[in-house]
Amino acid sequence: MSDEAELLPGTLDLLILKAVSLGPLHGYAVLARIEQISARTLFIEQGALYPALFRLVRQGLLKTEWGKSENNRRAKFYELTAKGRKRLQEETDWWNRLATAIGTALNARPQET
Amino acid sequence: MNLIACCRSLGRRFFRRAKIDNELEEEVRAHIQLRADRLERDGLDRAEAERRARIEFGSTERFKEECREELGGNSIDALIQDVRFSLRTLRKSPGFFAVAVITLALGIGATVAAFSVVNAVLLRPFGFSDSDRLLWIYSQRSDNPRGNFSLPEYCDYRDQTTSFDGLAAIASFNPSLSDSGEPERVQGVKVSANACNILGLRSLIGRTLIADDDKNGAEPVVLLSYGVWARRYAKNPDVIGRSVNVNGESRQIIGVLPSSFALPGLDTDIVAPLQPESDPRRNARNSVNFLRMVGRLKPHVTPQQAHAELDSIRQNLRRQYPDAYTGKIGVTIVPLTEEIVANVRAVLLTIFCAAAAVLLIGCTNLAGISLSRAGARQRELAVRTALGATRRRLIRLLMAESFVVAVIGGSLGLIVEKLGQRALLRLVPTDLPRIESFAIDWKVLAFAAVVTLLATIICGLAPAWLLSRSDLRDTLVSGGRGFAGGGLQSQLRTWLVSGQIALALVLLANAGLLFRSFARLSSEKPGFDSTNVLTVRFSLPQVTYTDRETIVQFYEKLQSRLSALPGLQNSGLVSILPLAPKSVSFVHFTRPDKPPAKSEDTPSTNYRMITPDYFRAMGIPLLAGRYFTEEDNGDRPPVAIVSSVLVKNHFADRSPLGQRVMVDDNDAAPRAIEIVGVVGPVKQANLETPARPDMYVPLRQVHKDGVPWLRNSNYCVAKINSEVGGATYSASRLRAALRDVDPSVAVGNVRPMSEVLGAALASRRFSLLLVGSFSGAALFLAAAGLYAVISYGIQQRTREIGVRLALGATRGRILAMIFKEGALLLGAGVAAGLAIALMLAQLVASQMYEVSERDPFSFALVSVLLGIISLLACWIASRRAMNVDPVVALRCE
Repeated sequence: MSDEAELLPGTLDLLILKAVSLGPLHGYAVLARIEQISARTLFIEQGALYPALFRLVRQGLLKTEWGKSENNRRAKFYELTAKGRKRLQEETDWWNRLATAIGTALNARPQET
Repeated sequence: MNLIACCRSLGRRFFRRAKIDNELEEEVRAHIQLRADRLERDGLDRAEAERRARIEFGSTERFKEECREELGGNSIDALIQDVRFSLRTLRKSPGFFAVAVITLALGIGATVAAFSVVNAVLLRPFGFSDSDRLLWIYSQRSDNPRGNFSLPEYCDYRDQTTSFDGLAAIASFNPSLSDSGEPERVQGVKVSANACNILGLRSLIGRTLIADDDKNGAEPVVLLSYGVWARRYAKNPDVIGRSVNVNGESRQIIGVLPSSFALPGLDTDIVAPLQPESDPRRNARNSVNFLRMVGRLKPHVTPQQAHAELDSIRQNLRRQYPDAYTGKIGVTIVPLTEEIVANVRAVLLTIFCAAAAVLLIGCTNLAGISLSRAGARQRELAVRTALGATRRRLIRLLMAESFVVAVIGGSLGLIVEKLGQRALLRLVPTDLPRIESFAIDWKVLAFAAVVTLLATIICGLAPAWLLSRSDLRDTLVSGGRGFAGGGLQSQLRTWLVSGQIALALVLLANAGLLFRSFARLSSEKPGFDSTNVLTVRFSLPQVTYTDRETIVQFYEKLQSRLSALPGLQNSGLVSILPLAPKSVSFVHFTRPDKPPAKSEDTPSTNYRMITPDYFRAMGIPLLAGRYFTEEDNGDRPPVAIVSSVLVKNHFADRSPLGQRVMVDDNDAAPRAIEIVGVVGPVKQANLETPARPDMYVPLRQVHKDGVPWLRNSNYCVAKINSEVGGATYSASRLRAALRDVDPSVAVGNVRPMSEVLGAALASRRFSLLLVGSFSGAALFLAAAGLYAVISYGIQQRTREIGVRLALGATRGRILAMIFKEGALLLGAGVAAGLAIALMLAQLVASQMYEVSERDPFSFALVSVLLGIISLLACWIASRRAMNVDPVVALRCE
C-alpha cells in the first residue's frame, strides 16, 4: 500500500460530504465510496470515520435515517442536507483554488520568480 | 457555554444517553456485519470474516466515547470533571480554601441579610393597589409642616374636592384590647370606612371596611393587623366573627390585614371605623386637630393640581371660619409609600452598601490570593496547554475553582444570613415599618444566587484571564520560576489592593461620621434626669372614666397606693412622656397684651397635663415661680407652668409670672390661664431637634374637652430609690398598684426612663453598630490584602533581596524599600478613598447630627487609623524579608 496517501487535516469532512452527495449511504458504504472515488488512493481509518460523521450531523450538514442495506441488513443511512450541499460547494471551490495556487507555485520556473 | 446548549447536553446526558448508546452499538454491529459480508464475498468463511472485521474496527468503547464527545454531550461531563478536579486542588490547599469560603460566607451572608431587610421594608409591595396615585396629606402649620386636620375640616375637603377619587381620614387610636385575659394597650388607627377602598387594601382573611361600617348605629367592628393576629391569636383563622373588648366596648373582628400594610408615622395594630358623621365633633369648627388624610388621585390629575385645589378650598373655608384656621397656612402633600419609608431609606441603603462593599473587598482579596496561586500553578497550566488544553478549557478550569468556592461560600452564607437575621431582628429598632414579617422570599434567594455568581466572576476572572493570556510556552522553557505574566499580574494586584483600601476608607469614614453624630447626640441633655425613673403607660376605659372627676378620683387612689410603696420617692402622671414615639399634643395661645398681627402667626406650644409631683419625679428643674400643688383644682382659677423656651420666645420683655395667656385647649373658645412657674426646657419629640416651648396644666384643672385625650394617653412616672429592691421589683409593684386601683385599666409594660431615652437613639445605634462592624471587617480585609500582596512580593523577590544583602545593603534599607512600596499602595488607596467619600458625603448628610458630612476631623482620624493598621500589616509581612539568608536565597534559584 505504498501509494496510499495521507489525508490532509480537514479534508476528511470534505470527502465524506462528497461521498454522500451522490446518494444516501450507510457508514461502511461511505468508506467504500471514498476508496472508490479516490481510485483507491485514499483510505480512511474506520475509527476516524464515525466521529466525523457525528460531527457533520451535529453541524446540520448530514441527516440520518435507519434503513435496509443492499444485502438486507438494518443500517443507519447518512444523507446530505441543503446546508451540507452548500458547504460541499464552498469547500470544493476553496479546495480547487488552493490546489491550483499550490500547483502553480510548485511548477514555477527559476526565471519566473 | 450558553444556557440552552447546557440544558440540551444535560438532557442528552440524563435522558438520552441510554438511547444514544443503543444506537451506537447497533451502528457498530451493522458496520461489522457489512464489512464481514464484503470479506465473505472476497472468499473468507463467515466466522473468519466477522473476526477480521471486528479486529479492523478496533475498540468499540473508544469509538463510542469519541462519538459521544462529537455529539456534544460532553460539556456537562467536562464540567463535572472540572468541579471534581477543583475540589481535589482545593483539598490540597486547605488554608486557601478555608479563608476563601469563610470570607465569602461572611460577605454573602451579611449582604443577603442586609438585602432581606431592605426587601422587607423598602422593596416589598405595600398591598395598596396602584400605590403611586396615593397621596398622604397633612395640614401645613406655621410651626409644623406635618400637622393634623379637624373633623369638620376633613369633611369639607372630602365633599368639595374634585381631584381625588376619594379622601379618607385617619386618626391615631390607642385603646385597650381584651378578650378574657388581662387588657393590653394596642396602638392602632381609626379610619373613615372609605379608607380601605381608597387604599385598595385587601384583607388577608375576612373582609375590610365597607361604607356601612361608618353609618350611625352600625355594628362596631375592628380589623386586626397581621402582627396582633400572629402574636395574640396565634394566626387562628377562627377569630373572624369573634367579639373583642376595645376600650370597654365590644367590637366584632371582621378581618386581618396583610403583613405588608403600614401607614406613615402611625402604628396599625388594629384598625377601627372612625364614623365621622356621628362624631360629636362633626360640626365643632374649633375642635381638636387629630386627623391626617389620604387620597387617591383621579387619573390625569397631577399632585400639583391636587395641591392647588385643596389650597383653594382651604382659603375659602378660612374666610368662612377664620377662628378655626389659626396657624394653618396650607396643606402638605406627599406620596404615601414615600412617606412610609422616607426616614429609614437612607439608613437601610447605607447599611446595605456597607455590606456589599465588605463583600466586594472580600472578593478582591480572594482574587488577589488566586492570582498568587495562579503564579505558582503556571507550570502545571503550561503542561496542560502543551498536552492540548485550549485556552477556553483552561479559563473554564480556573473559573470552576472559584465557582466551587463561591457556591460553598454562598451556601454557608445563607446559614450566616439566617443567624445574622436573628441578631439583626434583635438590634432592629422597632420603628422600622413592616419589619414584623421579615422573611426570606424568592427575591432574597435570587439575590443570593446573583451575588454568588458575581463573586465567582470577580474572584476567578482576573486570574483566569491573566493566566490564559500569558505565553505558557515561555513558562515551560523557563521552568516555571519566573512568571511570564508577572508584570501585568503585580500591576493588577496593586490596583486591587489600592481599590480595597479606598473602599475600606469610604466605609470607615462613614462609620466615623455616624459615630461622631451619635456621640454628639447622646451627650445632648434631654432636660430631665432618667436615673432610677420608671415609666408605665396606661389607658382608662371610656365607660367608667367619663369626666374629669372620675379621672381625678383614679389619680387620688393611685397616689395613696404609690405613696405607701417603700423605695418610691416621687411619682406623677403626665399625658405624654418626653421622647414617647409618635405622640404629639400642642395648643395655640396668645398674650392678650400682644395679639398676633395675623391669625397664622398665633404661637403654639407643647401641651402636657400633669400631676404636681411629675417635675420632681423627672428631675425637671424649677427656674422661677412655683410647682403645682394639690390645691390647684377645679375650684381655683386655672394655672399653668411654662418652659424657659416659651419665656425666651414670648416673654422677653417682662416676667411671665402672674401673666394671663389665652390658651386654645378646648372646642369652644380660648380660656385665660395664669402662668405660675417656669421650668427647664425638655426635648419632647426627639433628641435631634432643639426643645420647643412647653406648657403644663394641672390634671385637676383639665378642661372637659381634654378628657378623651387624658383617657387615651397617660403615663405614670416614678422615681425610685435604687437601694430598695431594685428596678424589677419596683416595676412589678408599680403595675400591681395600677391594677389594684382598677383592674379594667389597660397597663403597658414598665420601662425605665433610661430605656426610653435609649430608644430615641435606637435607630442611630442600629446603623452605627452595623456600619461600624462592616467597616471593621473592611479594615481587616484590606489590611490582609495589603499583607498578602507585600509578602507575595517579598517571596517573588527573595533572590533580589538576597543579592542586595550580599552586596552590602543593610536590612534597614530593605525594610525601607518594602515600606515605600506599601506606603505607595496605601497612599493611592487613601487618596482615592477620600475622594470617593467626599463625593458620596451628600448621601449620608441626612443621618448627621451637628457634624458636617465632610467633617475633616472624622476623615483625618479614619485615614490615620487605616494608615496605622496597614503599615502594621506591612511590617508583619516584611519580617519575612528580614529573615532572608542571602546564601540560601541565591542558592534556591
